[in-house]
Formats: sequence, C-alpha cells, structure tokens
Amino acid sequence: MAMYVLYESSSGYGLFEVHGLDEIGQNTEAVRTSVSDLSRFGRVVQLTAFHPFESALDALNQVNAVSEGVMTDELRSFLELNLPKVKEGKKPKFSLGLAEPKLGSHIFEATKIPCQSNEFVLELLRGVRQHFDRFIKDLKPGDLEKSQLGLAHSYSRAKVKFNVNRVDNMVIQAIFLLDTLDKDINSFAMRVREWYSWHFPELVKIVNDNYLYARVSKMIDDKSKLTEDHIPMLTEVLGDEDKAKEVIEAGKASMGQDLSPLDLINVQTFAQRVMDLADYRKKLYDYLVTKMSDIAPNLAALIGEMVGARLISHAGSLTNLAKCPSSTLQILGAEKALFRALKTRGNTPKYGLIFHSSFIGRASAKNKGRIARYLANKCSIASRIDCFADGATTAFGEKLREQVEERLEFYDKGVAPRKNVDVMKEVIENLQKQDEEGKEPVDASVKKSKKKKAKGEEEEEEVVAMEEDKSEKKKKKEKRKMETAEENEKSEKKKTKKSKAGGEEETDDGHSTKKKKKKSKSSE
Amino acid sequence: MKPPQRGRGGGVRGGRGLARGGEGSAVRGSGRGGESGRGRGPGRVKSESDGGIKGGSKVLVTPHRHAGVFVAKSKSDALVTKNLVPGEIIYNEKRIFVQNEDRSTVEYRVWNPHRSKLADAITTGVDNIWIKPGVKVLYLGASSGYTVSHVSDIVGPEGCVYAVEHSDICGKVLMNMAEKRTNVIPIIEDARHPAKYRMLVGMVDIIFSDVNHPEQAKILSLNASYFLKSGGHFMISIKANSIDSTIAAETVYQMEVEKLQMEELRPTEILHLDSGEEKHACVFGGYRLPRK
Repeated sequence: MAMYVLYESSSGYGLFEVHGLDEIGQNTEAVRTSVSDLSRFGRVVQLTAFHPFESALDALNQVNAVSEGVMTDELRSFLELNLPKVKEGKKPKFSLGLAEPKLGSHIFEATKIPCQSNEFVLELLRGVRQHFDRFIKDLKPGDLEKSQLGLAHSYSRAKVKFNVNRVDNMVIQAIFLLDTLDKDINSFAMRVREWYSWHFPELVKIVNDNYLYARVSKMIDDKSKLTEDHIPMLTEVLGDEDKAKEVIEAGKASMGQDLSPLDLINVQTFAQRVMDLADYRKKLYDYLVTKMSDIAPNLAALIGEMVGARLISHAGSLTNLAKCPSSTLQILGAEKALFRALKTRGNTPKYGLIFHSSFIGRASAKNKGRIARYLANKCSIASRIDCFADGATTAFGEKLREQVEERLEFYDKGVAPRKNVDVMKEVIENLQKQDEEGKEPVDASVKKSKKKKAKGEEEEEEVVAMEEDKSEKKKKKEKRKMETAEENEKSEKKKTKKSKAGGEEETDDGHSTKKKKKKSKSSE
Repeated sequence: MKPPQRGRGGGVRGGRGLARGGEGSAVRGSGRGGESGRGRGPGRVKSESDGGIKGGSKVLVTPHRHAGVFVAKSKSDALVTKNLVPGEIIYNEKRIFVQNEDRSTVEYRVWNPHRSKLADAITTGVDNIWIKPGVKVLYLGASSGYTVSHVSDIVGPEGCVYAVEHSDICGKVLMNMAEKRTNVIPIIEDARHPAKYRMLVGMVDIIFSDVNHPEQAKILSLNASYFLKSGGHFMISIKANSIDSTIAAETVYQMEVEKLQMEELRPTEILHLDSGEEKHACVFGGYRLPRK
C-alpha cells in the first residue's frame, strides 16, 4: 500500500512518497537510522510534488489555516491533483501521513483521503524537515530561512494585531523632513532674492516675505514691462494696494540692470521651484497633523502637533515616550544642559522641548518651572493613553489641556483647579455616552420596560440606584460594554450629571463592567 | 597570552578598549539625533545592576572558552557578546568599544547574569553550552528578547534563532527587536502546540527552553520530536517553585530529569544557579545521542 507524506513548509506544500515500506514495515527505529543519511533517506522517501505559495498573502492564509488544523482550498486542490484518485465505494490503496490528526480528519471528511499521523509518520516528517532544502531543487540555501522569516513576521504581526495606521515611524520621518525642508526653502529663497535683485533691487525691501517675493518676482518678470495694469494682480498677491503701487513706482525708477530673456527664464524657473517647495511644505505639515491625530491624538490635543511630534521623534518612538518617566519628558531635548549641571552640581534645566508649547510662554517667570513640570506630567499621561489604549479619541487630551489652563489661572489668580480624579471621571462618562449614542438611537423614556439587551426586570427598579452609584464610581477607560453604556445612558438622561447620594450600596448585577472600580467616596 | 598593548592586538582579541558608561551613551544619543534614540532614554543615570562594568574604565576583551562569547576584564569582569547590529541596544545595557589595529571599532554588549539564565550558567561554569556561531536555535519562552538577542549575537548571521513567545506584550517588543536582527525569527504562539508553528521552523541544532511551566518537560520533548535533530542538544531552565512549590528543590530537579530521560533527552550536566533568590537549575543534555 502506498504511503504519502504531506510536509508544510514556509515556501510551499510538499508531497512525498514513501518507498520501501515493506522493508521498513512500520518500524520507527529503522526510519530513524535512515534519516541521518540523505542518500539512504532519499531512497526511502521521494518528492512527488511541490506547490510553492503564490504570494506572501497566500502563504499567510495557509499558515493560519495550518495552525488551526483547517484545510484550505489550495491544499485540497494540491492533494487531489497529486494523489491517486479515490474511487467511490472502493477502499483507497494509499494513505496520507500528516503531522496533525485534526487536519487529517478535516481532509478525510472533505476528500475521503485516508490520513494517519502516528509516530512513524512523525519520524518520516523529521527526516523530510532535516533534508528539505535538498529535496527541492529550486530552493537555494538561505531561501528557506528567508521565507520562514517573512512568514513568521506576518504571522506574528497578525497575532499581536499590528495596526499599520498607528505606526509612529511616519511621524518621526515627517518631522525630520519638515526641518530639512525649512532649512532648504530658506536657503533657496535667499538665493532667489539675491539673484532677482540684480534686476530689480528695490523689490527686496518692499516685499519681505520669502514666499511672496518668489511669487511677485515670477509675476513681474521683466520690470520694464510693469504698468498700471498690473496693479490688480499685484494687489492680489501682496494683499495691499499701496504696496502694489510702490512696486510699480520702484519698477519705473529702478537702478537694476536688464536681464536677457534666457536669464529671466532661469530665475523664473527657480522661483517656481521655491514656490513648489513651500507648497509641499504646507502639504507635509497637513500630513503630519493628520498622522499625529491618528497615532497620538491626545498628545496632539494637549501640546500641539509640532511639539508632540518632536517629543516622539526625540524619544525614538511613541512607546519609548510612554515608557519614560515624566521627569525625563520634561527635559527631553536639554540633555547637554542636564548632564553638565549634574556633573558640575549646578542647577538642572527646567524644560527641554516642552518649552515650545504655548503654556510655558504664558506663565510668569516664577512659575515657568512649575508649569513645565505640570505640563510634563500631563503629557506623560496623554502619551501613555495614546500608546496603550485602543481607539483614537481626543477626549482625554482636551480635558488635560483644560487642566493645564486651569492651573495657569490658578497661578495667575488663585482660582483653585479641579481635581484630576473628577476630570477623568467626566471624560469617561462622556465617552460612554458617546459610545451609546453611536450604537443605538437614544431611548426617549427611561421607563420603557423593553431593553434591547435582556437585562432582567429587577434591574429597572435599580436603575435609580445605579445611576447614583455610577456617578460616584471611578472607572478606568478601557472597555465600555454596551450594556453598561446603556445603563449609564439611561441614568444620565434621568438626572443631572453629578448627583450625590450618600453611601449607596454598590449593586452587583449584570452590569459586569470589565473596568476596575474604586470604592465610591461618599463625601465629595 | 600577549600582554595588552595600546593599539596592538588583532581582530577579535582587540586591544585596549574604552568602556563608556550610561552618561556617555546618552550624550552620544543626542549627538546622533533620532537614529540612536531608540531604546535609550536620555537622562537615565544608571542605577540598576549592569553586569559589573563601570563607566570610563579601560577594558580588555578576550574570547571566552565558549565560541562567540567574550570576557571583558577591568576592575571587575563582565560577560559580553559581539553586537550583531552595531549601534543598537535592546535594554539599556552598557556597550564596550574596542579599537582594532586598523582603527575600526568593534562593539560588544554586556550580558547580565542576573537578567539572563544562560549568562548565569556560563559564569557559574558550564562545560558546554552548545550554542556557537552558525547553529540554529529554537528558543522557547523568548519573553522580551533579552537573552534571545545575545544568543543571536553568538550564532551570528549564519545561524538563526526561532524565538517562540506566547504573550502579546512581550511579543511586540520581541518583534521590534527582530526587525533589526534578521537572524531572529519571532513566533508569537503557544509553545505547547508545536504543530501550530511547524510551518515556520526548520530543523534546529539546539533547543533552549525557559518557559517556567509545570509541564515544561513535556513541552520540550514535544518540540524536540518535531524540530530537534538527532544528536542535537538542549538546555532547560527549571524553577523549582514553578513545578511544585511544596517539595524540596532537589527533588523537583530529579523529577524533571527523569521525565526528560523518558523522552530520550539525556541530560549531561545539571547546574544549580543560586545567584538570585529563586532556586533555579539548568539542565544541559543531548537528544537521541548515539549509544556508546
């Protein structure tokens, strides 16, 4: 009876036929000794067919199926193509050896190919695995490892739910490019000014902005052709009719030399380049803003996209930023000053990159350090939320921003800011409410007995009790179950936000929230 | 051995080198900008155990008895491996730079025995770790990849390390590390079911198991039957409390060894590692070794 063995590798499926079955019998020991030597093993087992995977995606599908013990269509067609046909009613004269019995039963159900996976088969598979690269002629040494590497990475990525959109590398590259672009645009713009000034020196003093200068110079072209007709165009560009008139006047009395048409064309092209670059810079900035709101919305809401992106790129990645303590975040960017101060036992710097956010500027000199520390603490919270929570929401970032504002006011006027605990609670409640609204249309009357999720009648009476509980419990943000949201939603609708019931018992019922709850404080 | 001389000394042996401590590396980090920012936090002044090397001292690096491992001698000795990806560190470990004759620098990373059981075993004095340049290693229980990175340094670009780790969080860190090192193949899967990842692994020379699971003997033997070549070797680290915290550690080790022997995993060395608080033992051995 013929025996085949299926071997799944990262580059494809291989089907091997086992010869000399009669000699070996089903003796594992004999197989073992033959495995060690390729020539002997080669006589025992021979390659019948090899089906390489079409693409990386195909390979990933196959490996997922194999790990579950499920047969894919590709595997099925491969087997049916290469194994002898199974005739109806007759007992097949061959069997297929597999590594996993589960896959075997699946294959048998679908194709009636008899499968076995015993020790004997496992030994054979060991041999195949050992000598696999020699069996397949097309595979060069090292190819197999590469395919294993690629496939393992994609498999593992799928396992850890790697989300391409939330890759922070884009932001880091974008911010570097932005800096480089700024420098380059500046150099080029200076060059345009110098070059065109040969022809029209007075323009430099009238138009100060680099970008506008490039546009104006392109528009004016040859200054001798400047007439009153050009005023509307110039006004459009410059935004100021007086300036436009000035330009025309200066053009008439200019002491610059004439340029040949060819020279003018060159200057034009260059000015065009500068304008294009400036436009691109704008687009890049927009891209950066979008990316930041994708990967770190709370950080962006708190301190702005530019500063946020700089922090991330300085730390190396969003995860690194989240891992470091807030004291590190405070002086990220001021390492030279920090270590110098540490070595010479002087005063350490109070702020690094954080300085560029607007809050530090608004604080008085005495309070700059305090605000920096406070801001760094909040930034740490925001970056951690961004890094580890699922779902992109700016709710936390905005609330944190409000807190910083409140603290600034406190330093200014002595108005006591809210406690962090309360603010966070508010955010979570808001988020739950939003979640609920997003998922179902709001129930007008709370007293409706029909609830969408079967909760049980007794809980309706407890809605009153629960709503008051809810407001006092502090929750962590992660999972908002719909039933909980529903309860909350109903409770929110029934009363104003913060009712204070004293010492209500925590009703332990079906709203099994997966959040950690801290005991409610009765006095607040 | 040749006396160490400044500027002399060939390739691997190296001459006098300079060890830079944590402060130095942070300054370097800001100088190079974002490129080396990964994995390093500025302002981190070292406080935790670093494997013995202080910053700023002169070090001499010599090969260890085990191929691929080196020893850095200064006021106190440290185990180091040659960095496969110069410029990158995994875990804030210190690095040692050695100048060669031709002015090129070789970078070594310090291997901390408190963090890594394999390093512990080496410093305790194991006869043979079997891991050397060019071999293929299956590493069960890779965690965040600290020891995996050192194993990958040792086996070099010719060898490869299949790192199996079940947890997501550690898996992410492991995958980040594997992106830099092309000889590490990350597999985020349960080591108890080698059938699930059989498509991703070839035949290996060594299995290294650090899973700390009550059934770790079974896990090792199952993986060995799939992936370990005949005549291959294994190392398993046994934490007595993980198997059974009620009975004495010695008994636990004996039990595990017996379980292994039943599955054709013949132990050749048993080392007791008592450097930490927990009672650990490392068992080295061979698989389907030919009968003498």
